[in-house]
Amino acid sequence: MIYLDNAATTCPSKNALSFADKYNYEKFFNPSALYLGGIEAAKDINVTRDVILNSLGVFSKDYEVVFTSCGSESDNTAVFCAKKRGVFLTDKGEHSAIYKSYLELKQRGLSTVFIDLNKDGSVNQEKLFDYIKNNKVDFVSIVHVNNETGAVNDINFIAQKIKEIDRSIVFHSDGVQAYGKIPFVLSPYVDMYSVSAHKINGLKGTGALIKKKSLKISPLIYGGGQENGLRSGTENVFGIKVFEYVIKEHFENIKANYSKVSEMNNYVRENVDKEIFHVISSENASPYVLSISAKNLRGEVIMHSLEEYGIIVGNGSACSSKNRFSRVIEACGYKKEILDGVIRLSFSHDTELNDVMFATQCLNVVAKKLKGIMG
Amino acid sequence: MKKAIIIRYCEIHLKGKNRGFFEKLLRENIKKSLKGLDFTFTAMHSRYLVEDFNDCDLQIIKEKLSKIAGIHTYSEALVVNNDLNEITNAVLSLCDNKSGTFKVETNRADKTFSPNSMETSMLLGGRLLEVYPSKLKVDVKKPSFTVYVDIREDGKSFIYTDVIHTLSGMPVGSAGKGLLLISGGIDSPVAGYMTCKRGMKIDCLHFHSYPYTGQAAKEKVVELTRRVGEYNGGINLYVVSFTKIQEEIHKKCPEEYMITMMRRFMIRIAERLALKLEDQAIITGESLGQVASQTIESITSSNSVVTMPVLRPLIMFDKNDIIDISRKIDTYETSILPYEDCCTVFLPEFPAIKPNLEKVIKAESVLDIEGLIEEAMSNIEVIKL
Repeated sequence: MIYLDNAATTCPSKNALSFADKYNYEKFFNPSALYLGGIEAAKDINVTRDVILNSLGVFSKDYEVVFTSCGSESDNTAVFCAKKRGVFLTDKGEHSAIYKSYLELKQRGLSTVFIDLNKDGSVNQEKLFDYIKNNKVDFVSIVHVNNETGAVNDINFIAQKIKEIDRSIVFHSDGVQAYGKIPFVLSPYVDMYSVSAHKINGLKGTGALIKKKSLKISPLIYGGGQENGLRSGTENVFGIKVFEYVIKEHFENIKANYSKVSEMNNYVRENVDKEIFHVISSENASPYVLSISAKNLRGEVIMHSLEEYGIIVGNGSACSSKNRFSRVIEACGYKKEILDGVIRLSFSHDTELNDVMFATQCLNVVAKKLKGIMG
Repeated sequence: MKKAIIIRYCEIHLKGKNRGFFEKLLRENIKKSLKGLDFTFTAMHSRYLVEDFNDCDLQIIKEKLSKIAGIHTYSEALVVNNDLNEITNAVLSLCDNKSGTFKVETNRADKTFSPNSMETSMLLGGRLLEVYPSKLKVDVKKPSFTVYVDIREDGKSFIYTDVIHTLSGMPVGSAGKGLLLISGGIDSPVAGYMTCKRGMKIDCLHFHSYPYTGQAAKEKVVELTRRVGEYNGGINLYVVSFTKIQEEIHKKCPEEYMITMMRRFMIRIAERLALKLEDQAIITGESLGQVASQTIESITSSNSVVTMPVLRPLIMFDKNDIIDISRKIDTYETSILPYEDCCTVFLPEFPAIKPNLEKVIKAESVLDIEGLIEEAMSNIEVIKL
């Protein structure tokens, strides 16, 4: 099997699983418990907090980590719990976890603003800053790496600019597709940042919201008061320790991985049949995500055809594959002929270049054959 | 107190000399449906009795009974000896959580039981009023519930309040066998359900167009078939690959006839498979005028390729009515999952709404019809559900 849907999820790291194994056996205790086992479990997940803060280049005196169940929960916490009223601004290229949360805000009677995208899926900065200069805005969420096109938003720069206009604005970024992949240090202008473990070979069911200590937020989930009262529910100690291990694995090699994946990405860009395929992702997008479109063909049909060769790719975003057109690619300004044929290839550091070469060849063959029949 | 379920059937009453056949079939269907559970089954005059089951299985049994065609109503009863004290206690416990107006209706098959029916009803009614003076009131004309007391000759009495109406219809298998074309849309599962309800046992045939349709689309059809199968006493799904045929039509025939021709191929293959499976009819979910392929001209065109009867249970139904039934049988939510259906990928922008049969036959003549059908028939996947 050649798996090229790593932006949907990645294969959990075996080393990480065995590292954390003891948290299912001799160290299974509840971190809130007051006997030794519980206290140790609490200490052990505090180690993970430090690893996360360290990986983002920030200090524990300024930032804290709130463990959640997934990236979506982190995003929801950011959107619903930092500001209770005011104007909420975002862009049209967000993951559904932000996009649908904003629709819900709107439903509840709050003002929401969606800023247009550039052709590559990044936010149009000119329009963004213009809007904020001329209107009162209270909360901004801008995705770090667009999960469909891979477009990278320079969130440190954007956050700084926004704060220069109005320093009371709360700035959040969804970093799920960036964390552990794009070399990056969180600037003090970013108030909250969402990450998820399973996109970097951790487990599904583990996420975190990194937030500034000075920012007061209310919880999304109430209960026993875990996570400083910000996220109740017994901590997923095993998942958190797996997360810790894969964070270390990824950050130790982040630059080497980046160039390895860039090589694969470039190979596909250069070698897909340009008569059939249009490359949507721009050259300076994250190399981990490559969105292309087979003009006038159907992405899903190509996806199934590739499956016969044992090649797995994504069509658009896996979370929204139930809708025919990708909302995000549509917002990039593409028309039906491109929208129908979108497929997303997404790589991991353990993807092999040889496999990518074979997959590219199959892509060309399959698309050519389908073009003969459907085109 | 022991519990029992009393099962009643209705339309079979209309049958004359072959009534035994229908009754036997219904008995078998009920037993088959409850297979794997602990219970005893007794046939009585015009009624069946399910007893000696585990209390935790009660809900499962009721659910299963509600999907057996031929059953008209059932009641959950308390079973006691023909003893006025025991009967009174059963009536009191049954009415413990009831309120409003009531009447007691006694049926005394055991004529040795005294007092007589009328007096028994009065006694029990009086006792109920004594015990629950604030929440119960008698109303013999329009009570909000009725307490039925059935005193039988074999020394047992049944006490119950609710009569639950179920499917009705005829026992599955009493009206032959048919082959349902199932697509993954809203209509065909409903057509299948209605066919089972009238007693026809069905097999299902689905056309799959890999890679134009994916595994998710197929899984959806499997799920729909499984749900229809609950009314059919289990079901077999036959999956035929339609890819080659679609590609050939797309390549060689006028675009506007795509769907007309696909329908003709589907019906032809259905007839072949039906003959092989000894099915006596083809069933489709067509509804007159619903889409381009369901105009009378289109139906004429697809009907003309077979001699086997094609049954269309929904032909004069409005879409809303079909949707209501699909919600009732719980297939709607699955049907509306938006996976690409084999019909949508090659959908022409302007399909022929009133295809001319002569033109269709002429356009079709460039294809190796027999060869394509043979190829499709040679590779059928069977999924037993």
